[in-house]
Amino acid sequence: MNQSAKGEILTTDGIPLKVSLKRAERLNKIRALALVLPLALFIIITFAFPILSMLLRSVDDKQINTVFPKTFEVYKQWDRKDLPPEELYATIFHEILNAEKLQIGKASTRMNYSKSGWKSLLKKSKRKFKKIKEGPYKEQMIKADKRWGQIEFWKALGEMVDPITFGYYLNAVDLKYDSDKNVIQQPENRRVYNSTWIKTLKVSVLVTLFTLLLGYPVAYLLATLPLKYSNLLMIFVLLPFWTSLLVRTVSWIVILMQKGIFNSILVWGGVIADENRMQLIYNQTGTLIAMTQILLPFMVLPLYSVMKTIPPTYMRAALNLGAKPMHAFYRVYFPQSVPGISAGGLLVFVLAIGYFITPALVGGKDGQLIGHWIAYHLKTSLNWGLCSALGAILLVVMLVLYWVYNKVVGIENIKLG
Amino acid sequence: MFKSIKVALLAIVGLAFTATAYADFTFVSWGGAYTMSQQKAYIDTWDDRKNGISVENYNGGLGEVRAQVESGNVIWDVVDILPSDAIAGCDEGLFEELDWSTFPEAPGGVSYVDSIPENGTGSSGPISACAAPQIWWTYVVFFDPSAFPGKKPKRIKDFYDTKKFPGKRGIHTWASANLEMALVADGVKANKVYDVLETPEGIDRAFAKLDTIKDDVVFWSAGAQPLELVKSGEVVMSIAYNGRVGAAKLSEGANFDYIWEGQVLEGDWVAIVKGSKNLEEATEFLKHATTCEAQAGQAKYITYGPLRTCGLDVIKANEPWFHTGVNVLEHMPNTKKKVKRSVFANPQFWADNGTEIGERFSAWMGK
Repeated sequence: MNQSAKGEILTTDGIPLKVSLKRAERLNKIRALALVLPLALFIIITFAFPILSMLLRSVDDKQINTVFPKTFEVYKQWDRKDLPPEELYATIFHEILNAEKLQIGKASTRMNYSKSGWKSLLKKSKRKFKKIKEGPYKEQMIKADKRWGQIEFWKALGEMVDPITFGYYLNAVDLKYDSDKNVIQQPENRRVYNSTWIKTLKVSVLVTLFTLLLGYPVAYLLATLPLKYSNLLMIFVLLPFWTSLLVRTVSWIVILMQKGIFNSILVWGGVIADENRMQLIYNQTGTLIAMTQILLPFMVLPLYSVMKTIPPTYMRAALNLGAKPMHAFYRVYFPQSVPGISAGGLLVFVLAIGYFITPALVGGKDGQLIGHWIAYHLKTSLNWGLCSALGAILLVVMLVLYWVYNKVVGIENIKLG
Repeated sequence: MFKSIKVALLAIVGLAFTATAYADFTFVSWGGAYTMSQQKAYIDTWDDRKNGISVENYNGGLGEVRAQVESGNVIWDVVDILPSDAIAGCDEGLFEELDWSTFPEAPGGVSYVDSIPENGTGSSGPISACAAPQIWWTYVVFFDPSAFPGKKPKRIKDFYDTKKFPGKRGIHTWASANLEMALVADGVKANKVYDVLETPEGIDRAFAKLDTIKDDVVFWSAGAQPLELVKSGEVVMSIAYNGRVGAAKLSEGANFDYIWEGQVLEGDWVAIVKGSKNLEEATEFLKHATTCEAQAGQAKYITYGPLRTCGLDVIKANEPWFHTGVNVLEHMPNTKKKVKRSVFANPQFWADNGTEIGERFSAWMGK
C-alpha cells in the first residue's frame, strides 16, 4: 500500500484514499438521487402541488374583488343599516355594465353562495342595465329588479370585501360571516355539515372497530394454520378484495333488503314473522355492514403480515412457564401484534372517512357522508372554495389523528410486515 | 433489463401516438342505455366524421369541464349536460357559443330556434347560447299494479296518501323534482309551482307535504335503484327516470304503470367545451345530432322524448317506431296530453337556490 508524505493512505493512482472514496460515494449518491427523482417529481406534481393549491383555494376570494374593485371600496363606508346610498348603487351599476359577460358569470356564482338569488339578479341586471342611460340609478335599478331594494342582498356582500377569506371554513362547520364579518351560525335549516362530520367520524370509527373485531381472528388463523388450510382461507379473504366495489355493494342490497335473502331465510326458519322483516339496509346499519365487509381485507392483510413474524415459540414458552392461555395471549402475543393493528386501523379509518359511493347506495337517508358533499361542491355547485375547505379539514383531522397516534402508541409501532 | 425498459417505453410512446391519431373527437355522456341510444342514433349515422369518435362516460356536473378549461388542457369535445349546467357553463365561459342560423330547420320552414318548445325558463328556443337540444327526460312516479289488488293509484296525490295506498315509497336523495311533485300533489297548479317555490312559505309547504310520507320513504341515489325497489316489493311506488321504466316495460316486459300527472320534465342538452381542438367537427356533429330525424332516431332505443317538437312528428308518422317493433309514443313524456299536467323544471330557479335548498333537503332527510 502506498503512503504519501503526510502519511495519508493513497490508492494505486496516487490519489488519497479519502478523496477517492468520497468521489465514489458522491457518484453513488447522485445515482441514488437520480433513481428516486422520478418518484419525487411525481409526488410533488401529483400530491404536494394539488394539496397546496387546494389550501390556497380554500381561503381565496380575490376573483370577486377583481370584478367589483370600486364597489367594495365604497361598500366599506356604508353603515349597513338602511339601503345603501346612491353612490354605491352608481358604482356597482357601472361595474356591472362595464364588466365582461364571463366576469359577471363567475362573480354571480360566487355571490350566490352567500345569498341565493344573486345569480339571476346579476345576469338579468347585466341585460336590463343597458337601457338605463343616466342617473340617479337607485330608483331605476330597483325598478329593473326589486331585489336591488332588498337590504339582504346588499348585506350578503359584506363577507366578500377582503381578498382572503375564512368564510369557506366557517361554512364547512355550519357558521358564516354576517355583513360586518362577525361569525354567526347558519340559519337552522341550512345546518347540515356538523351533523355530517359527526356521522362520518362515527361510521369510520365503528367500521374500524368492526373490521378489527372480525379481522383479528381471521388474521390469527391465517398466520397459525398449516399452509394448505391457510392458503384456502387467504383465497376467501382476497377473492372479495378483487371483486368490484359496486358488485359487492349491490350484492349487499340483494342480501339485506326486506324481501332479500337474509330476511327470507329468517322467515323461512321461523325466527321472525313475515310482517316483521328487519330493515337492514337503506339506513346506517346497511352502511356499516357493507363498509365493514368491503374494508375488511385492509385490516386482515397488515395484521396477517405482522402476525406471521411472531414466532409461535413465544406463546409456547409462556404456556410452559405456567401462564393461562388467555393471559399468555394478552401479555405475549397481543402486544407483538399491535403494529399490525395500528397499520390496519389507520388504513381502514383513512379509507372509510372518505367513502361516499357505498354509503350513498346502501345508506338511504343516512347515506350522505362528508365525501358526498365534497363531490357535490366539486361537480354540481362548483363551490370549489367550500369543497377545498372541507377537504382541508379532512386533511387536518387525519394529521391530528396521526399526531395523537404518535404520542400514544408511537409511530415506530406501525408495521405492514 | 435495459432492453425491457426500452421496449416498454417504446410501447408507451406508440400507444400515445395511436391514441392521439384515433381519439380525434371525444363525446362525453352519462353511460348505459342512454349513451347507447346516442351512439346508435347520432354517432353510427354520422357519415362525414374525419376519424373515430371516442365515447366517454361521466357523472354529470361541470367539475371536469371547469378543470379542463381552467388548466387549458381540454380533452373533451362534446358533453351531454343538464339545463342548469348548460346555463351556468355558458355564463362562466366553459362552453363555446353556437350560431343557430347555421343549424338545421324543421319542416315547413320553421327555424331551428323556433322548433325548440318552451322549456322551463319561460321562453322557447335554446336554453343558452351554448347548448343544442337533446331530449326530454322526466321524474315520474311508477308502480307495479299487482301491488294494489283493489283500487290503483292514479293521481300524483295518491303517491303522498299512505292511508289510501299503504306501503313504502321510493324517492331520490336530492331536492329538485321532489319539491315540485309534492306541491302539485298538495293542489298547486303545475304551471304555478315555481311562483309558490319562490316564496319561503312555498318551500315550507313542500317540505310539509314531504313530511307526511317521511316515515314510509326509502331513499335512492342511483337511477337503477327505483326499478329494483319496486320489482322486489321493497316499495310499492317510486319516483324514477321515465327512460328506465320505459326500458323495463318495452325491453324486459315488466308490468309497470306510470302516473304522468305531476311529472317533472327536464331537458338534456349537448355543448362544446371551450377551447375544443375539434371545434369545427364538433359543431358539424351537433348539427347532425339535432336534426328532426336524428332526434326521433334516438327514441327508437330509449323512451326519452325528442326535445325538438319536429322529432315527435317524425315518430307519430312512423309508428311503431321502437326498435323492437312496438309503439313508443305512449311512453314519451312530452306528448301534448301529458305535458298539460306536468311541471317543466326551471333551471334558473335551481341555479339560484339549488345549494341552499339542497342543504335543507339533506338536513331534512337526515333528521
